[in-house]
Amino acid sequence: MSASTETGSPAGKTWKSKEEFLGCVILTDWILLVILFAVLLGSFHIHYMLLAGDWDFWIDFKDRRMWPTVTPIVAMCFAAAAQSFFWTRFRLPIGATTVVLALLIGEWINRYDNFWGWTFFPINLVFPSALIPMGFWLDIVLMISGSWLVTALLGGLGWGLLFYPINWPVLAQYHQATEIDGVLLTLADLIGFNYVRTGTPEYIRMVERGTLRTFGKDVVPVAAFFSGFISMLVYFLWWNMGKWFSTTKYIEIEEV
Amino acid sequence: MKSLNLRSMAKGATARVVRLWIFGLAVAGALTTLPAATPAAAHGERSQQAFLRMRTLNWYDVKWSKTELNVNDEMELTGKVHVFSGWPQAVARPGESFLNVGEPGPVLIRKSAFVGEVPVPRTFSMDVGKDYEYKIVLKARRQGRYHVHVQINVKDGGPIVGPGQWITIKGDMKDFTNPVTLLEGSTIDLETYGITWTYIYHFFWMAAATAWILYWFMTKGIIVRYWQVKAGKGRELIGQDEKRIGAITLAAVLLAVLVFYAAANREFPRTLPMQAGLLTGISPIDEPRSTVAVQFKGGSYTVPGRELRIRAKVTNNGKEPIRLGEFTSAGLRFLNPEVFTTRPDFPDYLLADRGLSVSDLNPIAPGETRDLEVIVQDARFDIERLSDLAYDTDSQFGGLLFFFSPSGERQRAEIGGPVIPKFQAGASL
Repeated sequence: MSASTETGSPAGKTWKSKEEFLGCVILTDWILLVILFAVLLGSFHIHYMLLAGDWDFWIDFKDRRMWPTVTPIVAMCFAAAAQSFFWTRFRLPIGATTVVLALLIGEWINRYDNFWGWTFFPINLVFPSALIPMGFWLDIVLMISGSWLVTALLGGLGWGLLFYPINWPVLAQYHQATEIDGVLLTLADLIGFNYVRTGTPEYIRMVERGTLRTFGKDVVPVAAFFSGFISMLVYFLWWNMGKWFSTTKYIEIEEV
Repeated sequence: MKSLNLRSMAKGATARVVRLWIFGLAVAGALTTLPAATPAAAHGERSQQAFLRMRTLNWYDVKWSKTELNVNDEMELTGKVHVFSGWPQAVARPGESFLNVGEPGPVLIRKSAFVGEVPVPRTFSMDVGKDYEYKIVLKARRQGRYHVHVQINVKDGGPIVGPGQWITIKGDMKDFTNPVTLLEGSTIDLETYGITWTYIYHFFWMAAATAWILYWFMTKGIIVRYWQVKAGKGRELIGQDEKRIGAITLAAVLLAVLVFYAAANREFPRTLPMQAGLLTGISPIDEPRSTVAVQFKGGSYTVPGRELRIRAKVTNNGKEPIRLGEFTSAGLRFLNPEVFTTRPDFPDYLLADRGLSVSDLNPIAPGETRDLEVIVQDARFDIERLSDLAYDTDSQFGGLLFFFSPSGERQRAEIGGPVIPKFQAGASL
């Protein structure tokens, strides 16, 4: 890591040498990175589990309409807020990528240790949704455009559109057809049926409910566009939320 | 200066005392609770309100084909369920139901499930007042001893848990396989299918994200960037070179997405959307109408005595004399020892083999109508927390009475209604 004092750091005479000062900066950077990562991991994980919940927990909830609609929208909240913080304070184009990586690390720990390790649900039932390329997209659109407005519009739309294609490489294999006792199922349905969940009966799956039937079988693009549109709005809101959260307030010494 | 030091020392000492207290409390909490902790033996069925368990689904003829299995062995969980006519108003009706298993995680997997002759991997509809027969085929997956219940989840009503049995599974889960034949003909092991690729795909992207984050972090870190932005030199941090790197990275990411997507479509050209739906019109059990008519005439529950007294008018419309042999409710079976001379095979914690007595032991002759007082008394009533009926907002009981003729024919009759709690032993009805 390179660090410089050219901008007039408060090095002053506090440090014995420039090397000691730089070492202190680098160490603090690493401490900050680890703390930030842990805070984002914990907070985003809770947010995502509460709002995406079953859609992200189970393979048989990952349908082509509700899942690609809901999941990107709720994931956008922290991505926008983190971008606001990392970009406006540090000009770092890593906000969205950092939060989705943090989320996925948290999710994988949870899925492996809790879902598999404690309750023996196979990983192919409980793996999380892939989000990383969406993080890249959002960060790089912001970096190239330098505008949060453009990122909200273009980045938000792409965020929704990319979600399903990103996940399809893993999901496709579980959408192969099989049958049990004369009933047609996908492998995703069958995994959900085989591996008993006492509190997750079949009827709570929101698999293509509603009246969106005009587009025939091509429901994914419609869901993705809708998700992208809502993600734009969410981006505006949560960018400002992030801005508000990254404000530093001081209490003047005279007031103490 | 000295007083300042003393003050800070005093503060430090206080903080240490507080920390010690918290640590001490945590240790005391652990020491007093952990030794008493026992393995979870059931799935919360006792925590469900008594009226809910008694007046929704009445389970009977429940059988577990095996209680000891090796990993990969199969067993059947079969039985019948009566959907109570007096279904509580507080619970949604079973228009959307799901046949389930109550077990601690998928220690046995559900290979197939039937209601009547109809396979039910999906939601199905039941009618109030009818009886349904079910069968669940289970395959042992994880070694251990588990309490396995039949269960039906009712939409907006919650899970309604039936009787449970201890099942012992021997062997090792590592040997478990779950072969499934795809429509295109090949056979896969669903237990492990696709997991390696899922790991590879996810960790590939996570490694890429880590590289991206570290690249930007390693060039000027966080604090120096903050100073530069603060000094109004934020624009200098992202110049043309940085944007070029970003554009190349984005192009590579999108290309990778495209390649992975195309590869998935090439490898799995025929895929289906997930399947779901409601199965309606499942036929209830087809059997002759019961020849016994039972009319509830009142009842009471003596809380300290764990005794339910039911007054009923019983009419025998059959051709043989009958005697009351069993009352079942909430999965519990209370047997009349005058009728059941041998103990049936049923989980002990739910079987009160001397728990039922009748005011008049003489058989009810064909065509006769008789007033009976039925006394249900057993500690299991309390252990299974059915005595909490007295504290429910809808203090009505429900269950099934089984009458037996000399030829062994069984007649079933539903009974239920409000009961008056008696909080003193010995109080009369």
